Amino acid sequence: MDANELLAWARGPGFDIALTIFVAGMLLRLLEVLALGNKPDLSPPRGSGPKGAVQTLLSRNLPRKAVFDREPLRIINGYVLHIGFFIVLFLYGPHIVLFESFLGFGWPALPSGMIDAVGAITILSLIAALVFRLNNKVIRFISTKDDYVAWTVTLLPLLTGYMAYNHLVASYTMMLALHLLSVELLLVVAPFTKLTHMFSFAMARWYQGYQAGRRGVES
Amino acid sequence: MSAPSVEKGIQAIKGQIDAPVASFFSACVHCGLCAEACLFYTETGDPKYTPINKVEPMRRIWEREYTLFGKAKAALGLSKKVDADTFAEWETLVYDGCTMCGRCSLVCPVGNDISDMIRKIREGFAAAGYAPEGLIGASTRAVEIGSPMGVKLPAVQAQIKHLQKNTGLDVPIDAKGAEYLVLLSSMEIMNFPEYLEAIARIMHQAGKTWTIASKAFEATNSGIQIGVSDIAKLLVSRVVDAADELGVKTVISPECGHAFTAIRWDGANLIGRPYGFEVKHILEVLDEFVKQGLIKTAGMEDAKLTYHDPCQIARKGGVVEQPRDLLNRIASNFVEMEDAGEMNWCCGGGGGVSANERADELKLTAFNRKKAQLQALGVDTLVTACANCRLTLEEGLEENNMDIPIVGLTEMLAEHLVEDDKEKA
Amino acid sequence: MSTIGNDKQLREALNGLNPHQQRVLGARFVENVLSLSDDPRVAQSLVVARGIDLAEDVVNLARRNIKAACLEAHTRCGADGEWTDQAGYFVARAAEACLEPEGRSQGKGAAWKAAMSARMARTCLAADSDEDAHDTESQAQYQILTSYLDA
Repeated sequence: MDANELLAWARGPGFDIALTIFVAGMLLRLLEVLALGNKPDLSPPRGSGPKGAVQTLLSRNLPRKAVFDREPLRIINGYVLHIGFFIVLFLYGPHIVLFESFLGFGWPALPSGMIDAVGAITILSLIAALVFRLNNKVIRFISTKDDYVAWTVTLLPLLTGYMAYNHLVASYTMMLALHLLSVELLLVVAPFTKLTHMFSFAMARWYQGYQAGRRGVES
Repeated sequence: MSAPSVEKGIQAIKGQIDAPVASFFSACVHCGLCAEACLFYTETGDPKYTPINKVEPMRRIWEREYTLFGKAKAALGLSKKVDADTFAEWETLVYDGCTMCGRCSLVCPVGNDISDMIRKIREGFAAAGYAPEGLIGASTRAVEIGSPMGVKLPAVQAQIKHLQKNTGLDVPIDAKGAEYLVLLSSMEIMNFPEYLEAIARIMHQAGKTWTIASKAFEATNSGIQIGVSDIAKLLVSRVVDAADELGVKTVISPECGHAFTAIRWDGANLIGRPYGFEVKHILEVLDEFVKQGLIKTAGMEDAKLTYHDPCQIARKGGVVEQPRDLLNRIASNFVEMEDAGEMNWCCGGGGGVSANERADELKLTAFNRKKAQLQALGVDTLVTACANCRLTLEEGLEENNMDIPIVGLTEMLAEHLVEDDKEKA
Repeated sequence: MSTIGNDKQLREALNGLNPHQQRVLGARFVENVLSLSDDPRVAQSLVVARGIDLAEDVVNLARRNIKAACLEAHTRCGADGEWTDQAGYFVARAAEACLEPEGRSQGKGAAWKAAMSARMARTCLAADSDEDAHDTESQAQYQILTSYLDA
């Protein structure tokens, strides 16, 4: 298979298969959670569950000072990683075109040069995250293969995308094909790793926040 | 409790896994920030005390029982088991190295309620026979005698007589139609009887009707501590039945952390129906009395003092402002520790830890966090509102040669109470 | 000297005493229940309580020791409580009250606190039996105070 054929496959059947597995896989994971159900709380509430849930959805976006003071670099790096990833994913012209083909609408893009810089920063941030993971005794202790797999499949699209944009290593066609394939790998693998957090974080925050709201406690 | 077994333990844990628990395990990204909030990790430096690690056996069971992918992994022999060794290895993490203080739950970026998972996983450990001796003894006594420390009604009555003779005040027992049912913790009855005296004086001054129940004077819920819902339910039922029988409006939970959690939040769910009465913490009641003008205080403590928030009352109970409002009325030099209020650091002795002799050394190590907080502040007195916190703190202070007296807030308030008729002969 | 026959009179009389006198009297109250404790530190602390012009580190050491005695004597959370042992806890607390630094009395004198804890120690014995020696203890305390004031 030459680069063109690979690219055609990656853009066509490859993408369809990967997206299907991603959607089906994520739906399965979410349903597996919801199916377990949640018993209603019979204790008299002090406050509102839904209000607490929404508040917690938002509050956990920022760290508590006491914890931030203990691990400021690692926490800041986490933000750089996530925000960088979202900027590259959602604000890059060609990506927006792809989204538009699914959603029927698009949105303004950032200049490609800026995306390129953000991409580079995000890659560095991912590498830093790995360094933290290997050197911090707590994270090293609790890390599993899953963490390293998730790291790899997240890095590859960023890396190949950067290389494609900057015409590095192989021909543009080949790099683009590899980029798409790496994205497909991410989509296929994600539902079976901790990357499910991209959806389940909202459920977790909601459940705990709901109870906290009922009890009138901080969350 | 029926004969324990590993299989029963696993089934018990399985039964505790609901949608919230599943969402927590799905969302966890192994960021390790929960460890940075946990005093057992910060003071020992041992990563095994990372909160999410403490519930790893539950995660394994969740994965293999409730996820397709996990089932497949298990079938291929690719996942870690939960067996007797697992229970043995994790027992000290689940019981000795955790007070269910909830600080980890508050800081988790994805919103995991890890401390609640500890409460749930204890059901499995107890059912498997891997609970600490001290807690087994305490809960057995609670079920059979009515108090985890073996306090029987005659002992309470003797103390009431002592109180009556010293203050001239009556402590009603089983008074039907009283507005408040007052619960006591065995720790208070045995070690801090001045609490009951304070209550009597305050209630008298506020002009409120109150009573103790002869069949349910105990507030401490050992079932919650060991993690056996059946016991927890039985103990709560005694209080509920007494409250219903006496027709009280409000049940008052004393200065004991987990007792409040048990009766205020868990109780209705344990017995499967809403209460016919309200439940308030004594600090909430005192705050109400003061704000309604029913009781007045006079004089101020001028010693430099600070307040230690019991975790179950502040972070998990939502009673944060009331003790501060009360203290500000009777203390002119009240200063706050760093991380006070919702982010307070646990005393290290709650949730059954202080009843577990095996955990003594770990508990004292964990105390170093509180020691650092106090030394940074430099106070003359420490005020708190939980008998267990009080003793844990006293032990920690004594171990570290720190001379800071500890006072209960209710007791302190009573000392500044303006009483209409001072002496009854 | 008027006899002390009730708590009102007891408190009034105690309020008229200076700190040293309070400590001496408190020590006497503790002595009356000393048999309920088997910790030698209690008696040792009373010696210091009665002392005059003692060095600060002597007093501080005594305070630490009696505090330790209290902590050791208390019943651990969830443990099987023994009221006869718990009496020893209250005896230690009574002794601790005698050594309390002056600024901490919170409106109550050392002697009053010692008296209450001593009575509580006696009450502990009633927890397991029907014997109610509380009144006897109060009477004994009135007697002790009367003798002290007469002397």
